[in-house]
Amino acid sequence: MDNALKNLESKLEVMTPRGLSNEGRESSHQLIDQLVGESGLSAKDSSSGDVRWIETAAAAAIALSIGISGGWYLGKNKASSPDLVGDQTGDVAAFEYLDHEAWVLTKESPNVYVTKSGEIREISREVEVTKDVVEHRESGVVVTVETTDHHVVDGPKSDF
Amino acid sequence: MGKTWREWLDVSAPRLLAYARARCNNAQEAEDLLQDALIKLWGYQEEREFRPPDLPLAFSVMRYLGLDYGRRKGRREKRDQKIIQFQRGDDHWLDLTLEETEEAELLRKEVDNLPEKLREVLTLKIWGGLTFAEIGKILKISHNTAASRYRYALEQLQKKLKHLQNIGNG
Repeated sequence: MDNALKNLESKLEVMTPRGLSNEGRESSHQLIDQLVGESGLSAKDSSSGDVRWIETAAAAAIALSIGISGGWYLGKNKASSPDLVGDQTGDVAAFEYLDHEAWVLTKESPNVYVTKSGEIREISREVEVTKDVVEHRESGVVVTVETTDHHVVDGPKSDF
Repeated sequence: MGKTWREWLDVSAPRLLAYARARCNNAQEAEDLLQDALIKLWGYQEEREFRPPDLPLAFSVMRYLGLDYGRRKGRREKRDQKIIQFQRGDDHWLDLTLEETEEAELLRKEVDNLPEKLREVLTLKIWGGLTFAEIGKILKISHNTAASRYRYALEQLQKKLKHLQNIGNG
């Protein structure tokens, strides 16, 4: 990534997303209390959870700072990443994934170029088609979502 | 247990709301979406001793709830409300912590104008703090595609800024 884009990235990073409004925060906290109450969890149950949460948060903060300072691909494929919604088996999932397919429709030969800093990179365009078949649990409606993405693939050239 | 979730929410809410805003018309709807996500996440975490969820899971739930939400609302209604929202002009989801320069203001506006797929990746990367691998998993795309979309989003913003600066200077 060239300096101009890195500079732009820094400008974006200093913008901070807004948190909950006072009203939203209060009602969310009430919701949490309600969920805790309905689950019949006592205060004692929380002590070990507190420690784990703090540990997890600290580890996440460290990993995030390493990721930010380390560049683009650092930290990928975290083994501890949890299952996503599509993989959940609980009865609370809104959607059930029935099928997922993704394929590249066209892919041209990459063009090789040299950056001002001397890095050898290759760039190409590809058309990616993704098809997801999902069922909405409540209504039973099955929807097929097909998306076509045109995007530029730009990366360092690794083989010669 | 409630305390740990409240602490988790206070830390994570800005990131999750930033993502929710890409799918909602205003701050109120984004907060409603976040509360719906809280209920789902609570259910998911039962098998994990009700620990607060990791961010990728939370983003994933927000995404699917957002898709459902968008389907229910209908495109026309969303579009009309969005126009009203833009006209109001005071409902920002990003705060410019530094001096509110004209450039920063333009940047904030252009982030909102990015195509949804690009803005989604940009939001998850910059303000969600996720890796491209995590983003790819949530969006069901490869991490290379996520990285390309991110770069393309930055390039689009750069191009817009240059264009606007040239108009300003010209």
